[in-house]
Amino acid sequence: MVTVIAGATFREAVRSRTFLLLLVIYLIGVLLSRIVGWVSSTDGNLVTTDLVMSLQSVIGVLVAVATGTALVQTEIQQKTLYTILSRPVERWQFVVGKYLGLAASLAAGQVAMLAIGLAYLWLTGAHVQGWLVVAGLLTIVEVLVMAAISLCWTSLSSPLLAAVLGLATYALGHAVASLPGLINHLSGSQLVIASVLASFVPNLGMFTYRNEAAYALPIGLDDIALRVAYGALWITLLVTISVGVLRRKQL
Amino acid sequence: MAEPILSFANVSFTYRGDWLQKIHALSDVSFAVPAGCAYGFLGANGAGKSTSIKLLTGLLHGHQGAVRLFGQPIGPSALRARLGYLPEQPYFYDNLQVGEYLKYLGRLSGMTPSAIGPACDRVYQLLDLGDLRTRMLGSFSKGMRQRFGLAQAILHQPDLLVLDEPFSGLDPLWRARFREVMHLERKRGATLFFSSHILADVEDLCDHYGVIDHGKILEQGRLADLLGQAPLELTGSGPAADGATALADGTWHLVFPESERAARLAALPAGAQILRLERQRVALEDYFVSRIRAFHGAGFKLGDG
Repeated sequence: MVTVIAGATFREAVRSRTFLLLLVIYLIGVLLSRIVGWVSSTDGNLVTTDLVMSLQSVIGVLVAVATGTALVQTEIQQKTLYTILSRPVERWQFVVGKYLGLAASLAAGQVAMLAIGLAYLWLTGAHVQGWLVVAGLLTIVEVLVMAAISLCWTSLSSPLLAAVLGLATYALGHAVASLPGLINHLSGSQLVIASVLASFVPNLGMFTYRNEAAYALPIGLDDIALRVAYGALWITLLVTISVGVLRRKQL
Repeated sequence: MAEPILSFANVSFTYRGDWLQKIHALSDVSFAVPAGCAYGFLGANGAGKSTSIKLLTGLLHGHQGAVRLFGQPIGPSALRARLGYLPEQPYFYDNLQVGEYLKYLGRLSGMTPSAIGPACDRVYQLLDLGDLRTRMLGSFSKGMRQRFGLAQAILHQPDLLVLDEPFSGLDPLWRARFREVMHLERKRGATLFFSSHILADVEDLCDHYGVIDHGKILEQGRLADLLGQAPLELTGSGPAADGATALADGTWHLVFPESERAARLAALPAGAQILRLERQRVALEDYFVSRIRAFHGAGFKLGDG
């Protein structure tokens, strides 16, 4: 059941206008990144590389939030899940299937963006090396975590509010990454609040390896595995929360 | 007596509305749907029809009392493999094609891939969807969505078809076609359970009915008995009967309940000729409004036993 739901969700997601529109915006952004590289005072190729890799992350997160927040609540509002859950389908199968389908479509989009971005960098004379692929793959994990965050928020609130909360979590998730540097400046209750907050928000900085990759700074295999496992753990937790919420929901 | 295919026994359901106040959607509801029958579930908007349907399809939970489906308490999702459901004003994913969607829902109903092809061909033929099989559902009108909704409900040849306002948004031609399809489903052996308030549809399809209002079952039984209670309309010529209304063509007519048939006919004046005596066809909606008003007028209130 889960794979059947995931398959249909994948087809539905990759055909959505939001998905296709953001892919077009990515293409335009990639083309424009070269112009920024030309006018920059530093190494143009490095600036272009950084921009192309960052664009993959930003567009990926926007697609994840836009499609992830439409996943459960919109289905309830539009009653599209009535004909599914009135069949021999458990609610957890529905949520997990929907997430996996969305994750597959996001991953496919991300792989396409990464391939296009790297091809463009190579064609324009930038130095393309393997670390950029690793950075791109870690960005995919970040996007999948964002999709799980959006799914979780949308199971608890309206799609619009979920989108706002999703983006706020994204900002917090990156703020958490800089927490170790801030800790020295905090004390007392501020330190406690910051530490508690940090434990409730995924550290999205774990998946940011773009700048280091642009400078070909290496990353160990165990470090990559740790970051992927960290992402998988958050995804499991967030999808489990969403399942728990939908199981109790009156439709 | 054979076990009913669906039964509600003293079912109550309460949910939290805005500001968390309790809303009693169903109160001590009991009815039974015999296997093989067509059961019309009737009531005004907000009476509790859709809530009852959502309980039996598993979309709502947390009720008091017993809901039994195919002789078993509802709960195991496997029971729903034998259920076909058309929600009220159904909506579907915009970016899936008709054929893809049917295959998807067929798989979710537990059909094998080899069985889905012939099943799709059957519903394409029944509901004229063959030419639309590659169309995205986002481009469908309300009536076309309703057609697709019925197609997905009967795709897996369920034992129980639950249809919530199935004729909503259909033109007269498609309403007639829907009735044909529902007759065919009954011939196949399916039990029909549907909500509607259109007399022609209910009269044509149903043999049992239940009336719900403010979350309580007001009455239920066989439709033949209900229609037998509709008043008689006598058209005559010659000397008019007491209380008759004169018509422009010189005839007159008189309306009276079935219980007064013998007395009214015996009291006709000498020389009066009966041209026509038939049961009045009333809009079921009007009938139920009058019945519900009668219940409330008699002091019936929600919460009474």
